[in-house]
Formats: sequence, C-alpha cells, structure tokens
Amino acid sequence: MRTNYRVNSGVRFRMLTDDQLQELFDGVLHVLENTGLEVHHEESRQILQEAGAWVDGTRVRVPSWLVKESLRKAPRSFTVYARDGNREHNIHIGPGRAHFGPGPTCPNFIDVETLERRPYIKDDVSIVATVVDALPNIDFCESLGSVDDVHADLSALYEFAHMFPNTSKPIVAWSFDKYDSEGIHQIALAEAGGQEAFEQRPNYIHYCEPLSPLISTFEALDKLVFAARKRVPLVFTPCAIAGGTAPITAAGIITQGVAESWMGLTIAQAIQPGLPFIMGGVLSVMDMNAMVFSYGAPELSLMMAGVTELAHFAGLPLWQTGGCTDSKTFDEQAMIEGSMSVYFSALTGGDLCHDVGYTESAMTGSVFQLAAMDEAIGYARRITRGIDVNEDTLATEAIHNVGPNGHYLREPHTRRHYKTEFWYPNLCDRRNFDEWDTMGRKTMKDRTIERVRDILASHEPAPLKEGTETLIQSVLEEAEDRVQQDWWQEREIAD
Amino acid sequence: MSDTLERLATAVVEGNVDSMEELAQEALDEGLSAQEILNDGLMGGMNHVGKEFKAGNMFVPEVLRSAKAMKEAMKLLEPMLAAGEAQATGKILLGTVKGDLHDIGKNLVGMMCEGAGFDVRDLGTDVEPDQFLSAIKEFEPDIVGMSALLTTTMRAMGDTIKAIEEAGLRDQVKVMIGGAPVTQRFADDIGADGYAANAASASDLAKEFVGAA
Repeated sequence: MRTNYRVNSGVRFRMLTDDQLQELFDGVLHVLENTGLEVHHEESRQILQEAGAWVDGTRVRVPSWLVKESLRKAPRSFTVYARDGNREHNIHIGPGRAHFGPGPTCPNFIDVETLERRPYIKDDVSIVATVVDALPNIDFCESLGSVDDVHADLSALYEFAHMFPNTSKPIVAWSFDKYDSEGIHQIALAEAGGQEAFEQRPNYIHYCEPLSPLISTFEALDKLVFAARKRVPLVFTPCAIAGGTAPITAAGIITQGVAESWMGLTIAQAIQPGLPFIMGGVLSVMDMNAMVFSYGAPELSLMMAGVTELAHFAGLPLWQTGGCTDSKTFDEQAMIEGSMSVYFSALTGGDLCHDVGYTESAMTGSVFQLAAMDEAIGYARRITRGIDVNEDTLATEAIHNVGPNGHYLREPHTRRHYKTEFWYPNLCDRRNFDEWDTMGRKTMKDRTIERVRDILASHEPAPLKEGTETLIQSVLEEAEDRVQQDWWQEREIAD
Repeated sequence: MSDTLERLATAVVEGNVDSMEELAQEALDEGLSAQEILNDGLMGGMNHVGKEFKAGNMFVPEVLRSAKAMKEAMKLLEPMLAAGEAQATGKILLGTVKGDLHDIGKNLVGMMCEGAGFDVRDLGTDVEPDQFLSAIKEFEPDIVGMSALLTTTMRAMGDTIKAIEEAGLRDQVKVMIGGAPVTQRFADDIGADGYAANAASASDLAKEFVGAA
C-alpha cells in the first residue's frame, strides 16, 4: 500500500501563477464595476438592475459582489448528453477534460468532391455532421459554415435541422436570433422527450456572441435570455481582436474579453441560478500587415491558455479555440498552425475547444482540416495522458523473464499493454519506403481526403426517434412561412 | 464449412489459446480429418489474421497470440498428419548473420512465418556461414532467411550465400533477406532470391516461394 505518494495524472502545464490569475481576476471585476458595458437589451438591463447592478441609460456596471455571486452559482462540472443515449458521445465537462469540435459560420467551404473553395450550402451541413460523428477525437458538432442557399434569416435553423439527424454528438447551436433559437429548441425537445427531460439531460449547447469592445448586443442577449429560461447550457463568447477591438497585450485582451463574457454570466445566473455557463472568448491578434484576425497566431494559443487558466481559477469551463489556420489550403502551414494550437489546447485542458477545421482565418470551413486535426488531437491526447508509474508498468518482472538477448513480443505484459500504452495513427504513415511507394506514394493530404470520402460513403449516424424528422420539417415550414410575412422584415429591436 | 471448423477459425482469430485443443478434438470426433481441420479451420483463421494485420486492424501481439492458438491445436493434430501430407506450409531456416546481434526483426519474421503455417528453425544471432550450412543439411529447409541491421554486417549475407553455393546447396533453397538497410537492389547484387521489407511481407514472400500464396 502506498502512502503519502503524489502522482501526476497526465502532463502538467500551467502558464500563470495564482498571483497572476488573481491580478487578472481583479482586473476583470474592476472593468465590470468601473467601466461597465453597453447592454442593448431592455429586459436584461431590468434583470441586472434587480440583481444589484447599476444601470445608467444603456450602460450597466456590475458590482464585484454580484459577479462573484454569479460565479458561485455556475457549475464547474456538468454533462451534455448524446441525443441517442450513446454514452461514448456524452460530454462530461470538468477539470482536466479537453474536448474538441468544429466552429460555426464560415461563408465558404472546401467542396468534398472538387476540393475547390465555394460558398457554403445546405448539403454541406450533413457532410460536416457525418464526419464529426465518425471521427474519434471530435466530441461536439458545429457546422463549419453559414448556409448560403436558403433565406438568409433561416440559415441557422437549417444548419441545426441538418446537423441534428447526422450526428448524435452534442451540438453547439449558433443562431441569429431568438426565433432561430426557439425552432432549434423545439427540435431538441422532440428528441429529448419534452422540457423536463431536456433539463435533466440537455442534448445541445446554445452559443451567443457579444461584441467587442464592451457591448452586449440585442441578439446575443435575446438569445441568452431565451436559453437561460429554457435551461439550455450556454456559451457566451466574444471574439476580441488584440490591437483592434481589444487591448494589444495578452493580459489586456483577456481582461476585456472576460468582462464581456461575465456580463452574460451575470444575466444568465440571475434568470436561472445554476445554469451551465461556458465562458469565452476567442482571443487572437489582428495581423498588423494582413489586417486579419489570425487563427494561426502563436498568441492565440497563449491568450487562450491565459483565459483558460483564469476561467478555471474562477470555477468556470472555457470555450477554447484551436485546430484552425490562416492558410488557404491543406498545406504545411495549416498543419503546423492547427497541430500546435490543438496540442496547446489539450495541455491547458480548455473545456470545449472549437474552430477545429477553420481555414483562411475562419473564412472557409474544411472537413479535411477537421479530419487531419482529429489525428493531431489523438496525438496530443496521447501526450497529455502522460505515463503511469507503478509496479506493473515498471515491468521488473517482465524484464527479469526476458533477460538479456530475449524479446518482449510474446510477453503477457506486452499483450496487456500494447493497446493502451501506444497511440495508433489513422492518417500518419509509418510504413517503410517500399510499401509507401507501392501504395501510390500517398501524402497526408491524399490519405485525409480518402478518409473523409470513406466516412461519407460508409458512416451511418444513429437515427432520430420516430416523429422527430416530421417535427423538423414542420419547424422549417413554419419558419419559411414566417419569413414571407411583412412583420418579420419590420420587427423591432427593443433596445 | 462445418460449424466446428468455423469456430476453430474464429478461435484462431481471437487467439483463444485455451479452447483450441478441445475444439480440435470436437472436430475429430465429428469425423473430420486432421488435414481438413488444418486447411479449412486453422489456416482459414490465420489467413484472416494476415489480412486484418495488413489492413492495420490487428497488431503484432494479437497475431502472435493467434499463431500460438494454432500451435495448440497442432499439438493434437500433428501426429495424425501422415508423412507426405503437407503438414506444414514449408520449412524456414532463419538467422541474423555473422557479426550482428540485432534480432527483433528476424524474430518477427519467424513468428509471422509460424503463423502462416511454416515450420521455423531460428539459429539466433551472429550466425557463421558454416552454421547455416550444417543446418541446411540437417533441417532441409525450403527457405533460408537472413537478416542484418548494420550496413557493416550486411555483406555477411553475401558471404553466406557464396558459402551455400560452394557447398553445392544453393539449388535446394530459396534465400530471402531483410533488415533496415537492405534493399531489393542489394538482394539482387548478392544473388538472393528475394527481399522483404517487413515481417508481414516476408511471410507473404515465403508463401510465394513454396507456392502457397
């Protein structure tokens, strides 16, 4: 029996000390209390005021005690469930667990057949969802694009309606406004078996995005209020640009970005105490030459590590970013940028790492980037899992049995461990030259394309419950009717 | 295929060492011949293992376990296989050549060949040409397999082939070689009959040599 013996389970990584995190934490509270945010949503301002915030016109300042109380109410650990009850597709959010998935809303897509870049269309949604469902290291689903070939107001609804049947992995649902969110929620409820069943086993996460610097937009809050009332786990993530819409320094962008996210936290916890809340945001640099928000910058990984540690310090899970690239194509740059960021994300244990599969600085979604990153994530996960040191793994007995001049291939010890001790690649090639030559000298890109096409030809996601498909159709039809009506075009924003 | 033969094949694939003897006995009790059990049951299983291994769906320890399972059944069947009946796929003599102590690759080749039904004799490491010669005379293999890991010891393969020729034994055996620095061109240069890049293709090549592929 071991006693007073310390173990590192997995590789340890930590960038900031408690002192540094406390300083960042206090900085966020200072911004919320002294500067405050513009809150463009009347109902939210009322909720905030009743909770104890100071409201002056549209400007809302939140006292530190209220932020801390909201943090106390929000859970650090919770589960999001696969729609079909497949436990392997559940996501358990909690310390030391890093999950990965694609991002939303790219205008373009790399066509799976022609490999050309073109606008993202409805049919791409089911392609992405099917690939997500099949890839072993991708844990949740977003669509990698905004649907271009439907009515512009309905693209988020179509997106969810086509993702949901094609993967049973939890979906992080992006939407334009509350109307999308209502349709999405109806579909999710049909599968979950009603609101009460959903609250016990939520099968999707709702995604809202405030605006930097320091603005809680009407749509973001309208969606947040809806989701909080329906008890849908919530991502509230700004996408701040260092040097553009946020301070240029990493500590500065973290401070501002977290303040933006915690305004959402405060409203959500006031409406629905204990609502699972996943803090954002996506933080990176504005390239001062190319003028883009860089998805491949090393600073992205650094900023994300800092904000992850701050989230965990404050007791919240984080909406991470990685597996993305500024490269326009499937090339060495895409692999370097994507792999480095997923590895860093895995090291930090950032809870839900999205944007896997973004290329061209989030302008183009690629299932090929996604599939290649599935391999990089598997690789990273093997490293972060670390090594076990115990009597069995020391293998002194096996060493003794084999002795000099022997080999370990037949050892029971080898047989017991070879499946778990080693990581086996799906795409990386380890064959010798001749075999590689014989098999057509395929590059990583060739193999990735093959894998994606194989999945699309053969993978069958778990079916929906009887009746859900019909409900999806009627939700879409109702929405189509709605967008034809005038009131929809002229609906007012109650700022 | 009878149900028992199918279960034998499955047991080989699953590496079910403990159940082999019992299953083989069951098959005999049903009136199947030892030869049928070997060809249609055990070898059927091993062929499946070979395919799955090549496709990347099975791993070396599993293949070895399957080979061991097959051997368990063979303990019972071997005495019943009449001389003259093709009881083994063929005979292979293996060794790491003179000056070289590296043998993990050669061991893998041996195990893979055993799995493919060959009778394998392994001379170990640092094997002098003379040792190969006397073993050829005594064991009468169909195939001689040599390996070396070092570019410095590679040439001992050529020396060994020359010695086999000088002893007048070259026509009796096929020679296959392997090892990290070895190439097809080197095999051609020293007059080997074949080269295999890894253990799985070595066992395929061996099968080709004896017409069992």
